[in-house]
Amino acid sequence: MIALVDCNSFYASCEQVFRPDLWGKPVVVLSNNDGCIIAANREAKALTDIAMFEPVFKIKKQLIDNKVTLFSSNYTLYGELSQRVMNTLYLFSPRVEVYSIDESFVDLHGFEHKNLKHYGNFIKETIFRNTGIPTGVGIAPTKVLAKLANKIAKKGPEHDHVFVIDSDAQRIEVLKNTEIKGIWGIGRQHAKKLQEVGIYTAYQFTEMPLAWVRKEMTVVGERLWRELRGEPCMDMIDIPKPKKGIGTAKSFGHKLESLDLIEEACSYYISEVAEVLRAQKSCAMYLQVFLNTSSFSVNDKQYRNKQTVTLAIPTNNTFTLITEARKILKAIYKPGYRYKKVGVNLTGIIPEAYVQGNLFESPKTEKHKELMQLFDTLNYKYGKGKVFSGLTGTRMKEWELVKADRSPRFTTQWSEILKI
Amino acid sequence: MKLSTIGKLARKQHRHTAGVSEQTGFPSPATHYLEPTIDLHQELITNADATFFVRIESDKYAHLKIYNNAVLIIDRSTPAIKGKLALVIIEGEFSIIKVPVRQGGSEAHKTFTLWGVINYVINKAT
Repeated sequence: MIALVDCNSFYASCEQVFRPDLWGKPVVVLSNNDGCIIAANREAKALTDIAMFEPVFKIKKQLIDNKVTLFSSNYTLYGELSQRVMNTLYLFSPRVEVYSIDESFVDLHGFEHKNLKHYGNFIKETIFRNTGIPTGVGIAPTKVLAKLANKIAKKGPEHDHVFVIDSDAQRIEVLKNTEIKGIWGIGRQHAKKLQEVGIYTAYQFTEMPLAWVRKEMTVVGERLWRELRGEPCMDMIDIPKPKKGIGTAKSFGHKLESLDLIEEACSYYISEVAEVLRAQKSCAMYLQVFLNTSSFSVNDKQYRNKQTVTLAIPTNNTFTLITEARKILKAIYKPGYRYKKVGVNLTGIIPEAYVQGNLFESPKTEKHKELMQLFDTLNYKYGKGKVFSGLTGTRMKEWELVKADRSPRFTTQWSEILKI
Repeated sequence: MKLSTIGKLARKQHRHTAGVSEQTGFPSPATHYLEPTIDLHQELITNADATFFVRIESDKYAHLKIYNNAVLIIDRSTPAIKGKLALVIIEGEFSIIKVPVRQGGSEAHKTFTLWGVINYVINKAT
């Protein structure tokens, strides 16, 4: 059996752990730059007359009128609490697959003799007690079914956030009540195709002949079909795969015109992604930089451009990458526009150990590597961005994202711990 | 110490390094006796994933020997046994009480919700 443990409105729950005055009240979390709502708790979702997907500035008055508390996103806090939740899951099984920041698969093979409903409850209650984060638990023979069980656990109040599919009769009942488009892994195209041939529920799908499924939906559809029938086809992946591409792009707090500030923001993003590369011990072969104006703005002239270069030698060295990125930026930048966003993407990721020199250059020397290691050690120990390349500059305030209502980083900074 | 914070689940590990003199290459006589330096975390924290720090910014709790500027070490996984200090919520606000006999209400503290049991109070020595 496999459990899917999923945190309830995770970002909002993280904020509420430290704000008991907001328990039971509507809370929303805003995207980077406070542009739109990316998370809302149950109480906020219940306010159906507010168009939550609209830009925040359009609905701000309604939000305030309804006493909704707004938070800028605080990923430092969410990431740290996520680690606590995931670590706690290891108390229940040695195999945990972290699927996203707020959900994990927990392998319960060998636990079948237990009362799984009780075990699920125990998981849920322990996580809440230890971390303050509420979760829902779905338990079933396969991952796809566990995902479905989790959905049901959250819906019906009678389930108390835990639902187990442990008999064939129950599996069939669940599938009969599941729309085809509600299945994890069935995209809009496939859902449409299935509905055209008269398949509306998950159960009908599992009753189709395998040959048809394979023909129409390839091996991906076949796996879903088998998983829904209770036959596990998706393995637990407990070691995260190194990423194939790493990138970051954030809007500026204000629109920028001058090249030098954009360069500094770009250098900062490079430092961030280079750090990720080094942490997973890999190097990138290609670097892409792109620059945009805001397509929402009707008054501004529009311009967007991007360029990719092949690095002479694959690298994860912040300084090399910044130098290359600035060359690209100089090439694509045009004066006279009000820019909204710069972004960088690193692709062609290979393990550090495989990097080869070429005829004219050898891979960066040990000295460079040591410097980067020192960089990372210091920034780990003293906080992000304590040591940085001079090219990043110190005018972050002028381009940084607006995060007006960010909560304190309660669990990572002594100066910001909970105060009473 | 592990640098990676990406997908990080492993806890920090202490590393023994044998002391070798860079000048002479001779091992230090302490080589086989090196141990990690004392780390307060080991003594004060048993369940890191359930432990939170809170700073006190008033003299309200002086009667519990918790003074202004003290740091509380709260372990949410510690059972709330009668008489233990605990951070609780009373009417939507944080407060500190001694856990009474029966949880959920005594006359003195109306109804409270437990946030976490306080395992240590770090007061600055005067």
